[in-house]
Amino acid sequence: MASDVDSAPLVGRADQLAALRAALHDDIGPGQTAAVFVTGESGVGKTRLLTEAAARLRDAGAVVLTGSCLDIGDASPLHPVLQALRRFDADLAAGQARTSSAVRGLLRTFAEESGGADSAGALLERVSAGLSLIAEGRPLVLVLDDLQWVDRTTRQLLLYLLAGLGGLQLSVLAAVRAESLQGAHPLRRVLTELRRLRSVRVLDLAPLDRADTDRLAGEIVGTPLAPEAADQVWQRSGGNPFVVEELARDLRDGHDGLSDTLREIFLSRVDVLPRQAHAAVHAVAAGVEPVEHWLLAEVLGLPEPELIGALREAVAHRLLVGADDGYRLRHRLVAEVLAHELLPAERAGLHRRYAEALTQAPAELHQARLAHHWRLAGEPGRALPAAMAAAREAQRLHGFAEAHRHWSAALQLAATPTSGRSGAPPEVDRAVLLEQAAETAHQSGEHARALSLLAELTGGEPLDPSCGLRIRRARYLAAAGRSAPAEAEYRGVLESVDCTARDRAAAAARLAELLLHLGRYADAGQRAREALELAATVDGSTTEVVLASSALGFSEAFLEDPDAGLAVVRRALETAERSGGPEDVACAYLHLAELLTGPLNILEEGVVVARRGAERVAELGLGRTYETRLLAIATNGLFRVGQWAEAEKVVAAALRHRPSGADAVELLLARCRLSVGYGDVEASDRDLEAVATMLAGGGAPRHVLPMLILRAGLAMWQGRHDVARQAVQRGLTESRSDDVVLLGALAWHGLRAEAEAHASRTVAVDPTAVRRLRDAVDRVTAKSVTAAGPVRLNADGFLALCTAELTRLDGRGDPDAWARSAAEWDKRHHPYPAAYSRLRQAEALLARRSRSSTASKLLRQAHEMALSLGAVPLTSEIRTLAGRARVELTERAQPTGRRPGRTRSTGVGRQSAGAAPATATGEPVADELVTLTAREREVLTAVAEGLTNREIGQRLFISERTIGVHVSHIFDKLQVRTRVQASAIHLRNRGE
Amino acid sequence: MTEPVWGPVHADIVDLLADHPEDVPAVVDHLTKLQDLLVRLPPLERSCPLADFNRLYLTITSRVLEGLYDDYFADPVFLSRLDVEFAARYFDAMRLWTESSPTTPRAWSCLFKRMKGPDARPLPSAAAGVNAHINFDLPFALVTTFDHLESEPVDGTEQHRDYLKINDIFADKIPSLRRGYLERWQLLLDMLNGDIDDWYQGELVEYTRDVAWRNAQKIWRCRHDPQARDGERTRLDDNAAALGRLLLSPLGAFLQ
Repeated sequence: MASDVDSAPLVGRADQLAALRAALHDDIGPGQTAAVFVTGESGVGKTRLLTEAAARLRDAGAVVLTGSCLDIGDASPLHPVLQALRRFDADLAAGQARTSSAVRGLLRTFAEESGGADSAGALLERVSAGLSLIAEGRPLVLVLDDLQWVDRTTRQLLLYLLAGLGGLQLSVLAAVRAESLQGAHPLRRVLTELRRLRSVRVLDLAPLDRADTDRLAGEIVGTPLAPEAADQVWQRSGGNPFVVEELARDLRDGHDGLSDTLREIFLSRVDVLPRQAHAAVHAVAAGVEPVEHWLLAEVLGLPEPELIGALREAVAHRLLVGADDGYRLRHRLVAEVLAHELLPAERAGLHRRYAEALTQAPAELHQARLAHHWRLAGEPGRALPAAMAAAREAQRLHGFAEAHRHWSAALQLAATPTSGRSGAPPEVDRAVLLEQAAETAHQSGEHARALSLLAELTGGEPLDPSCGLRIRRARYLAAAGRSAPAEAEYRGVLESVDCTARDRAAAAARLAELLLHLGRYADAGQRAREALELAATVDGSTTEVVLASSALGFSEAFLEDPDAGLAVVRRALETAERSGGPEDVACAYLHLAELLTGPLNILEEGVVVARRGAERVAELGLGRTYETRLLAIATNGLFRVGQWAEAEKVVAAALRHRPSGADAVELLLARCRLSVGYGDVEASDRDLEAVATMLAGGGAPRHVLPMLILRAGLAMWQGRHDVARQAVQRGLTESRSDDVVLLGALAWHGLRAEAEAHASRTVAVDPTAVRRLRDAVDRVTAKSVTAAGPVRLNADGFLALCTAELTRLDGRGDPDAWARSAAEWDKRHHPYPAAYSRLRQAEALLARRSRSSTASKLLRQAHEMALSLGAVPLTSEIRTLAGRARVELTERAQPTGRRPGRTRSTGVGRQSAGAAPATATGEPVADELVTLTAREREVLTAVAEGLTNREIGQRLFISERTIGVHVSHIFDKLQVRTRVQASAIHLRNRGE
Repeated sequence: MTEPVWGPVHADIVDLLADHPEDVPAVVDHLTKLQDLLVRLPPLERSCPLADFNRLYLTITSRVLEGLYDDYFADPVFLSRLDVEFAARYFDAMRLWTESSPTTPRAWSCLFKRMKGPDARPLPSAAAGVNAHINFDLPFALVTTFDHLESEPVDGTEQHRDYLKINDIFADKIPSLRRGYLERWQLLLDMLNGDIDDWYQGELVEYTRDVAWRNAQKIWRCRHDPQARDGERTRLDDNAAALGRLLLSPLGAFLQ
């Protein structure tokens, strides 16, 4: 049909195609993800590049799914993914029954999604499971065009999959119109945050250069252009391939002279169209693309042969393009040209015919399209039910932002006076619309909008709204960060005689929670007690009891009556178990575990509670949300008490639930903390990238600081003190000074980076940075004096470290300052910083050449602590120092058999201690590899080949994690710190 | 071939712009490097009009950075994200200009064009840049930042107060930059902060310096509607460009 249409050669994009194939297919290891975002102005050839790249990736054996986003502004969540799946299914050959059934299975998942309580994350998980069934181990590529119109849910799905949380080897190729990014588009920030990741590329597609422009025009015309014509094409197209193509075609077809603009080109083509083709183009312009063939037939009311004839004409005039799934305008400009041609009544008539046709037959995006067309047909009464249905449909798929837009549209429709032909509007309770619109606004984070909708609901009258509404208003106010009016509203409910005891209990409990967040512990405690008294008089108020008890427990803990607080929270758990719903039980466990591991610092018990709670909520069917949160608490507790191997198991179990959103970020950070401690650079990097990917979606700034602290910590072990400094500087400019614990941790990392830069002379100490860090320490000190006891306790630990690091910067380090730091951390049962402090204390003592026996003792203690943690980089620093100082590390460190965790002492005891620098300075020993097991030798061989842990795991059929353990053991036994050093030893001994 | 847009420092500027700073320290670093390059740009070199703006912007941003370190703002997360996003738009405009893209905001291109001369006085040059940056870039930077932080532009919030503190920084820094021109600067700033429409309609009485914030709220409300959003964009660009051309015309010289 359109032999002419797509035959233009692809000119000047060979490099980009090769780069795309490499980035999205060839360079991706198993289980890794990658993404390329192609940006460029309209007509620069993004869609064409996507199509060509998709074909090449398909040829390379990838499963390629392609979809496009829609610009109707109120599309449905995940539409492009659904569309991609349907297209893929339609294209499957007969022999691919298994893939086809996997695709249909996933499509059913969407259809059956109930929008129930089990959070939107569950849907993401099911989608990724479905995709992995479709892929069957083949690489999967998701190609999305017009990403500037992507819905929020799809955006979240993409980030979730790219962060590797779906456990899927996936690459994403998406095109974004550059013009859209210039405004206030949400993708702008997402791309800025993503572009620094190694797995992501942003490819800015530039117009063609002069030579390629000439080539393309020549190919279309059939002969090279005369210099004058070539000049004109270049001048007018600016190298934009779409314009080049159209100009060259006009030239070839002998149109008089060159049209000046694309607009003129299209105008002249529309002018010469036969009548029916003209109608067809107008109909497509009014539709939602792609317009299905059957639908177009209904709208135009033409017999099939005439319809085909008309469409052929429109395609031949290069105004329409046809594909299996329907018709589209060739360019957005066509719509603009056409817009001035129709009378409003004609356009409304077209929309009416669309709406009528769609009423009879279901189609993709049925309700959203129906609402769209009825509205533009001037039939608000008929658009209204469709908008409401579309809103419910979006809510079902957890697309609260989209649902909110549909509810808002419904409100507008309900307020539009109906005129003329349509019947009376359906009876819709405006209050219901307002309530739904308000709640979905609140759920998608638009609290101000939620509040104004709520105000409309109460009719703007100052008279009493219902108690339920007032509580809602207070909730929205609190969520919007407007605590004072929120507090006033809760108080109003509490004082109102019209409100039931139940309402008042709820108000008091929520007010207590709010006050707790504001740090007003005494007030919070008082309100919580009030809530508990009120709740005692009402049956079935367990939810309020749990909420109030937690507020009371925490306020007591902060006011330094921990025992009383703990008792209250324990009682709440009993109440929940006795008379509450599953969520009440889960919340009660969560609060108790948080209280124990948080302000009370009773870590061991907190871990036990968290793990028991995790088992219990799994029984109750709340695994995804609450179990992962409880396990995150357990992981962090285990990390702090030094049971890293156990922590590692727990975090792996939690991640098997494929959590999403903030829960996922929390777990990735917890796992990364372990990897940094182990010195596993590769794993740490991967988790940091995944966290950054998730954070690119926005929200949750509270996770940025922990991420930066880990980034700094990792850089420090790598000796990249400038990188550590940058991470700390960013952290300092993005933290609130009342967040004393995080700020303290950050300042310590900064000072340590400067101190180590000073000691190792890797980079020059930055005096400005040091001055700012001193200021930060002063601020933390000042704030922590007035902070609640538990907060002060944690802050003081970091302040001790900061003070001690400062002495390193001023001189050789003050052993007393380090001793104080070690004591602080011993007091908290936190061995990792305690071991580090001992190392520095010993170093300071040795530098003063005094009390070397104390130094030896400290080093041995630190060594044993670090070993039992499995803290490889810390262990080797200790060994290096011991080696320099000729301190025997293992004198009293013979394995006792009770060391928990990833004991790395195996074999080390047999070696002569203090031999740490031997590999660097001493004579090579003939049997350097003698201490390695057969397996470890295999692993070392692979390491020396330059393979990553993942690749070695694949070769030896064991998990990557186990390889990590082997590599750590190898490092320990060979007393090296890097893969290169280990490989060097291997190569030296290879002859044997 | 035609002469590169940035003359002898073209390659350096392209390299610099290839990098996208992601925090405020990096933005300051970027502006510092840019300043060194712009003053080497012939024919005007030290009196390059863009350098006049860049110098002022660097001073202001350095002060904002100090403020972030010194606990001057209530919501540093918001303010640093805003600052980075705000600067990104200036760098974007330069990038588009580098590619000779027709989509370079006109608010900016009227200043970029003057880099080749004729020389404009430093005060109106800097003012033209401030005009483009505040009247055109800032509302969009605000919307993007709020969207990213899942927050929203509401009057009287911590974010709003922090935002207004930037005005104090401007007021604080400007007299020391050009002693004796305080009153004219004040006048200019008041004028700049309004777009011409609002100025004529006399809407500026209460919120003289708050127009970018108002515009952000306006865009915020229609941000899901691509057509309305683009309409706002064109409107702001037109207004800022008109004012920019006025500033760079001989009339602008009266300010100095």
